Amino acid sequence: MGPLIPNGIIPADWDSIIAILIGLVFGFVLEASGFSSSRKLAGVFYGYDFAVLKVFFTAALVALIGLYYMDYLGYADINLMYVHPTYLWGAIIGGAIMGVGFVAGGFCPGTSICAVAIGKVDAIVYVIGIMIGVLIFSELFFLFQPLYEGSFMGNITLMDSFGINPYWFIFIFTILAIGIFALSDKIRSKVKKVFY
Amino acid sequence: MKIKTQTNRHIYWNPYFGGFLLGILIIFTFYITGRGLGASGAMKSSVVTIVDAVTHSHAADNAYYKQFISEDKSSMNNWLVFETLGVLIGAFISGGLSGRIGWRVQHSPKITSKRRLAFALGGGVLFGLGAQIARGCTSGAALSGMAVLSTGGFITMLAIFGTGFLVAYFFRKNWI
Amino acid sequence: MVKKKVAKFLALRYKILALIFIILAGGLVLLPKYKKHEGIKPEELLNNVINPERYISTDALAHKIISKDPSILLVDVRSEEDYNNYTISNALNIPFSKLLNEENEIYLNQDQYDLVFFSNDNFYADQAWILCNRLGYKNIKVLEGGINQWFLTILNPPVPTENMAAIDFEQYNFRKAASMHFGVAYPEQTKEVKEPEVKAVPKKVVTIEKKKEVPTEGGC
Repeated sequence: MGPLIPNGIIPADWDSIIAILIGLVFGFVLEASGFSSSRKLAGVFYGYDFAVLKVFFTAALVALIGLYYMDYLGYADINLMYVHPTYLWGAIIGGAIMGVGFVAGGFCPGTSICAVAIGKVDAIVYVIGIMIGVLIFSELFFLFQPLYEGSFMGNITLMDSFGINPYWFIFIFTILAIGIFALSDKIRSKVKKVFY
Repeated sequence: MKIKTQTNRHIYWNPYFGGFLLGILIIFTFYITGRGLGASGAMKSSVVTIVDAVTHSHAADNAYYKQFISEDKSSMNNWLVFETLGVLIGAFISGGLSGRIGWRVQHSPKITSKRRLAFALGGGVLFGLGAQIARGCTSGAALSGMAVLSTGGFITMLAIFGTGFLVAYFFRKNWI
Repeated sequence: MVKKKVAKFLALRYKILALIFIILAGGLVLLPKYKKHEGIKPEELLNNVINPERYISTDALAHKIISKDPSILLVDVRSEEDYNNYTISNALNIPFSKLLNEENEIYLNQDQYDLVFFSNDNFYADQAWILCNRLGYKNIKVLEGGINQWFLTILNPPVPTENMAAIDFEQYNFRKAASMHFGVAYPEQTKEVKEPEVKAVPKKVVTIEKKKEVPTEGGC
């Protein structure tokens, strides 16, 4: 069974069409959840709107639990899934730079594309900025290369790095996420409302 | 002051509902294609294509561009590029249905549009740089990575939000 | 009245959702774990077993050995004693009883060579083949008829009688030439072409990484 395309159940020619369909739903959900609004996105850092946090963690939880149930029931093989490779320092430093970029620009790439679609000028500028960023990175690749290729740890999962049981991890992660949701509601009620 | 009756201009979905649908979509994507969602990849492909079109020899010399250029097929012929096209269409439909389409710059009333655009550009540059170093953005690395419990995904997620909260104070004027 | 009940229910909706999540996540922890079925499915195995392509004939094998085809790796699954007694040149000895020993896995689980299993007849080689196939190892064939057949056809080919077709003579000539290659002396030969039997030198095998078949490039 799944994943369908790597296992050859759906021919690879369908890849592009499926890509557009998946993107369509992705864009619709992001936009409808308010991710095309930079002030809503930035709200998570100031406590006046936790939509990002809620959407993000709910999605991660649903996906995690769903994938593991499908793996358990034999519909999909979790070992065949693409695991994002871990480059320790690349992830930390890259993530930190992205964090600054997120607060300064108010978007991340996916949401900026949504905002471009509905005509936000700041998002268009932001996308141009991302392209300039990619350009800078590529032109100065020799500078970033040690960081980009260094401290490679393979396509590892948390089970590989810490030897924890994935099921217990998901359980704890769920409780943690629900705790964060409750906390975020509490914080939000204390912070001065911002309207946008 | 009529703060009490003031509401946000747009009503969006309940975040849990959006998150639930997004989670289902991630499962579906993994089930069909065996990989996660992504967004910054398409921008990388665009940059590579543009550079390749302008100066082919330069692109072929650069160790980074070189990985994404193949002679027989354009680097725009890429899963993520198609997905991003889909995102554009999907967001346009959603925005159109709730009447959110229009040219505008969204910013805090305390700052000018110009300042907002300057910060957007700077933020974009930083994000583009960071996304290349970490090999993925919030959707590709953090969200899709977390769905399969990738260590790198969790580290990236913590780094993005951790730094975000740390530096948020310095940018507060832009948003609040 | 109904409205009130609905309102009361709605006030609790997040708590209920949270509870559902916790129950679902807890379900993963509590569900009885079972060992995942490793290797291929029984139906697929049956398909592979009845496929005649898993056999290689002695003639084809002889041809490959003589033409020094680098892609084949012979594996003798008989006991060590038999192996020392006689084996086909350059074969590697993995006794059937030790087939699943860990040190042998690097030879079996690879995709560089075409492995050819043989025993005295088909019997043990077939069993070894099925075990390996079940584990998902690729590129394995069985020498049809094993050493016995090898002996009967290649080393000691039956002389065709006058009334047989020309093709049989061709085959005989090939087999005879092959047998000379493998060190059999014929009376009509004036010069003895005795090639020293090359002792089995286990070829270096590059193993393939197990599992983690990463099918596609990544997200962002």
